[in-house]
Amino acid sequence: MADEPATVEIPAQLAQAAKVAGWPEDLLVEALKRGGQPADLIRFMSMGVTADQAREFIAQQGEGGAAGPPAPQLDLAWMKVPTEWGTRAKPTKHGLTIEALNIGKYGDVPDVWEHQTELPRGAVPILGVEGMGYSIYEKQELWADNAGALYEEAIQRRWRPATDVPWDTLEPLPDDLERAICQICTHLSEKAQLEADIIAGWEPQLSYGYHEVKLYLATAVFEGARHAELFRKRALSNGGGLGIQSPGWSFRSVTDARNFTEFVSVQMVLQDTFTMVQYQYGEKYAKNLAESLMFRLAMQDTARHIAYGLAHMKYVLLHRPDRRQEIERYLDKGEALLVADDRDSATREAFAIYFSGSKEKIGEGLQIYEEMRRRQVKQYLERLNWATIDRAERLFPALRAYAELPEAAAG
Amino acid sequence: MPKFPSVEWFDAIRQLVNNDEAYKRLGTFDSRVGVKVGDQLYELTFEAFDCTGAREIGEHDLRDLDFWLEQSPEDWREMLQVIKQHGGADLHHTLNTIDLTLPEGFARSHDGYRRDAFYRFNQSLQHFFDSSAKIDTEFAVGASA
Repeated sequence: MADEPATVEIPAQLAQAAKVAGWPEDLLVEALKRGGQPADLIRFMSMGVTADQAREFIAQQGEGGAAGPPAPQLDLAWMKVPTEWGTRAKPTKHGLTIEALNIGKYGDVPDVWEHQTELPRGAVPILGVEGMGYSIYEKQELWADNAGALYEEAIQRRWRPATDVPWDTLEPLPDDLERAICQICTHLSEKAQLEADIIAGWEPQLSYGYHEVKLYLATAVFEGARHAELFRKRALSNGGGLGIQSPGWSFRSVTDARNFTEFVSVQMVLQDTFTMVQYQYGEKYAKNLAESLMFRLAMQDTARHIAYGLAHMKYVLLHRPDRRQEIERYLDKGEALLVADDRDSATREAFAIYFSGSKEKIGEGLQIYEEMRRRQVKQYLERLNWATIDRAERLFPALRAYAELPEAAAG
Repeated sequence: MPKFPSVEWFDAIRQLVNNDEAYKRLGTFDSRVGVKVGDQLYELTFEAFDCTGAREIGEHDLRDLDFWLEQSPEDWREMLQVIKQHGGADLHHTLNTIDLTLPEGFARSHDGYRRDAFYRFNQSLQHFFDSSAKIDTEFAVGASA
């Protein structure tokens, strides 16, 4: 008795889908015999592959056996992907920017991203792809209208500490000055590395539908690394060395943030405002061209972090006004821990010596340090005002004192 | 010899930076920047890799700008003379240093967010003014304070 061909069972779900798609039973049997998976066949049907097209694909397969191994099974269903086609993003004066790609559906930034995978915005999802497990999928939790533009700006305005800073302009400084700048650089390098680390930790939590924000924050990670590198280089290039690490009380408000908006408010609005003013004063009191440019270039990068932070804060407050008190609480905590860092006498004294020029004139330098603190508070309040937060009355008491003092020389 | 301040002077600097690879390598710079010298006001438009325009404006136009730079005519003169002498600003005459030195600040704005463009693009703006070292400048006689 001749062997009868093995029968192929057609799953009910496949049969139902085939009935709708117009695939006959013999075609199903042939596809299954050739190793086609029911789930894949259903997907092809849902993407509009006709019975004739399926037969054509099968006909292109080799028979195998005596003629040799069967040709690889081709799957060209991806060529009929039902996404928006015919897109032609055009370069602008700024080149072909990430924002120029936001055409048609590719520019639809949803209020909620419903996919838990690496699905690029505008691509076709595949059922069954494992989830990424990220936790942020609402636009108001991370969005800033300037994110795409800031990304391009960050990419365009990259610079290289190794070769763009005129290190050859460094000349020996008196011991107290060299120790002061080295302590300052130890602090700034540590702070910058922390910022890079924490942003990097949040990146995998941000869903893929908001790639403008993810891309921009990737540049902020890179900039934190650049600043960590920059200041370490200054400390180790003029006969000095590193100093004492920071006590890091203010760092805790950043590392302990449980919510992305909390992190952004504390790090990219509060902390970065205070850091940027440190860079401003570092540039003003720089002893050489290397230090002047070093602080100026770092200042540019940090100003971008602040721009993102403020724009995100404002976006949240405009779309979720119920989060206002929540944000104020984040700032309460952030300000309290920032003030705790004022107990870091090493950094304060180092700045004072750097400003005044010598240990002997540290008293003058401490006055300039106070002036710097007034400017930090003033700029912080002005920026919060733009984001629709009037913080003057709720400011942490130790900072409010600076807001009430008369304008100093560099208010 | 272009006179400072004047559209002609700013156009001369524009011509320099728009043909300066070192300026373009600093990256894109997008801002509307004012320059106030006594009673005279000018607007510089920076877009992408170029300074695309310079024109004279009035006080009422300040609100449309991201920020403006304001100091006395004497201080402007001193800054530009130092730049000419040294080929660029020395440590005491950078834009940021002047901003910290002047009681009312050098970079001013009606908008705290837009004013931050002064910091974000500071090196490009510094390069713009440092480029004035390449031209001879006549200072306007009697520019009022």
